[in-house]
Amino acid sequence: MANFAIDAVKATTYDAIVIGSGISGGWAAKELTEKGLRTLVLERGRDVKHVVDYPTTMLNTWEMEHRGQLPLGIRQENPIVGKCYAFHEASAHFFVKDAEHPYVQEKPFDWIRGYQVGGKSLLWARQTQRWSQFDFDGPARDGFAVEWPIGYADIAPWYSHVEKFAGITGNKDGLAQLPDGEFLPPHEWNCVEKYFSQQMAAKYKDRPVIMGRAAHITQPQPIHLQQGRAKCQHRNICVRGCPFGGYFSSNASTLPWAAKTGKLTLRPHSVVHSIIYDEKKGKATGVRVIDANTKEMIEFYARIIFVNAAAMNTNLVLLNSTSNRFPNGLGNDSGVLGKYVAFHNYRAGISGEYDGFLDSTTEGRRPNGPYIPRFRNVFKQETDFLRGYAAGFSANRMSRTNQDGFGVDLKNSLANPTLGGWSVNSHMMGETIPKVTNFVALDKDLKDPFGIPQIRFSVAYDDNDDKMVKDYQEQMMEMFTAAGFKNLRVRDENRNPGIDIHEMGGVRMGKDPKTSMLNKWSQLHHCKNVFVTDGASMTSTSTQNPSLTYMALTARAADYAVKEMKKMNL
Amino acid sequence: MERRKALQSLAVAVGGLVSLPGWASSWNRAGIPSGQSFLAPNADALLAEVVEVIIPTTDTPGAKALGVHTFIQKIVTDCMEPSAQESLTKGLTAVEALAQKTYSKSFASLDAAQKTELLKTVSQSTEPDQKGFFSMVKGMTIQGYMTSEYVMNNITHYEFVPGRYHGCVPVVAKNSTSKNQQNK
Repeated sequence: MANFAIDAVKATTYDAIVIGSGISGGWAAKELTEKGLRTLVLERGRDVKHVVDYPTTMLNTWEMEHRGQLPLGIRQENPIVGKCYAFHEASAHFFVKDAEHPYVQEKPFDWIRGYQVGGKSLLWARQTQRWSQFDFDGPARDGFAVEWPIGYADIAPWYSHVEKFAGITGNKDGLAQLPDGEFLPPHEWNCVEKYFSQQMAAKYKDRPVIMGRAAHITQPQPIHLQQGRAKCQHRNICVRGCPFGGYFSSNASTLPWAAKTGKLTLRPHSVVHSIIYDEKKGKATGVRVIDANTKEMIEFYARIIFVNAAAMNTNLVLLNSTSNRFPNGLGNDSGVLGKYVAFHNYRAGISGEYDGFLDSTTEGRRPNGPYIPRFRNVFKQETDFLRGYAAGFSANRMSRTNQDGFGVDLKNSLANPTLGGWSVNSHMMGETIPKVTNFVALDKDLKDPFGIPQIRFSVAYDDNDDKMVKDYQEQMMEMFTAAGFKNLRVRDENRNPGIDIHEMGGVRMGKDPKTSMLNKWSQLHHCKNVFVTDGASMTSTSTQNPSLTYMALTARAADYAVKEMKKMNL
Repeated sequence: MERRKALQSLAVAVGGLVSLPGWASSWNRAGIPSGQSFLAPNADALLAEVVEVIIPTTDTPGAKALGVHTFIQKIVTDCMEPSAQESLTKGLTAVEALAQKTYSKSFASLDAAQKTELLKTVSQSTEPDQKGFFSMVKGMTIQGYMTSEYVMNNITHYEFVPGRYHGCVPVVAKNSTSKNQQNK
């Protein structure tokens, strides 16, 4: 019997366990397997194989049952995910429905999730900007949260590492506040966007408008072809999954790459309950999993564990990993676990029209758009609010159809749309300040369908966010006016936190174990063989779309973890 | 195998899009259901006549031939509040009643001019139900027509896989595309 037990343990023992197969979990899988580690990737949702499990990717509009619309029942049953811009008939199967994983909203929080192999990497907006040193300096300079334990120099080579593999389109703009990366050729501007960029360059020293940097292959390199990925075909229906692998996802890129090493075991339908902590060994020894199909609790063991469950679920896993040593959650001696959650403020926008360039239009589609890097408080504090915002920008030639009357005249009008002027649009992406009062915690009574405590959200905007909304509106109004744009309309959608899908923090990095959870290598200060490299680890949010930074942090931590294992430190 | 994949990718990448490689089109077609009606056969036929008046057959197919009446029932059934089904049913009954009252004939047996005249009356009706019915049916007729396979392929020439984005191209005078009907 003793031997039997040992064999059973052996069969469920790996060198490394990665919790989550999304954008950062996929990177952990790739890096660890490439370095020779037998790696188990646990995914709570179903498997989604590249191409074959993208059921809507080749559907024309008329081939969809409701031509893209969602049935009333689905909308009524999903008031939360139903708010997401990307949730529609062609993509709904990749989103978590509200009832599948309930949570408590002490304050309104729209939590958007993707539980399947690949996670939200199938669904993301694919914008990929590097952080600069100014971003890492934020908390220390402005006196909030805690000082980042790393700077740009620490992560820059890892940005390069992940950019080359993922395939990032962009232009080398030479900006100190938004460092250049390893770029594939940039996307094209249209006339009005180019004009706006030139106007802003002439009017402002500090407000460059650049072409967006995005995880699209505009010119495949050998490394992309080796992944079986091809050039982006500009379909701009990325959330369905891309049969070309034209944009980066775990499914198209890191997971198949990890599988090729022969070292990967991918286990879908595996809901992680908690991490097992061995008091005698003083380290984590494995993970408790509830099989989503059988509801059976199973244990898996490994020397190191990467937690990449998506920011808030990573908090949940650690909070639920209690032991005599860690009664308040794994590694949580400081008491900061779950706290200092932050996100991106996407509330405000502006739209308008431009009546120039009427002899020009666009052709084809572009899964990307121009970007206005943060220009407020970058080099020094200069406004009555902390930090700042980046902004998206785009121009589109409008097409108008006369829909008056009915009969032959209507039919002719529908076949002959007339070109209108250009519409111009922008939206803000503001940094929010992590605060102890913005937190997640476990509910004491309520459980999810797997018997795991529900997560409580107490996350809200503050006065700094309101001021930033106002400033964005004023500044963009000034900039659009200066460019001669007309009929300007600013908006504040007052959307809830969460719907930006950039929630971060709760397991922050920091220098001091008394005030942070993770050290500069993304290791739990107090449980060194557990690494957290998803959004939970973010000390502050800055304004960049975060995924690229998670990828780089993951590759960096994986490299460190394997070196430490070889030195027998882990 | 991996080499083959890579070569296929390369073909796509270098040659631009010729056709989808096999690995890119092996998605699952199961689960795409056909249309669905909730109206009784006579009401279904009447709705087909109504949408045909809104977008008639000319040298290209009209709304009836493109199954727009089936699309409308599908959307009304699945995507709208239950009251929309009632509005649709009631509106059709009113149309038929008006045809009987005005011409002592069924709507289907009216000539084109009479049908148009009658729907004009409905669209301008002071009765909110009738006016609401007409604007709902007209809006969905346009939607169903514009998203039909025929129109997207032959009239609006939607490109599913453009393979490009050109930001500044000159506006060219639009040729009439409605004569292009080889695929009818």
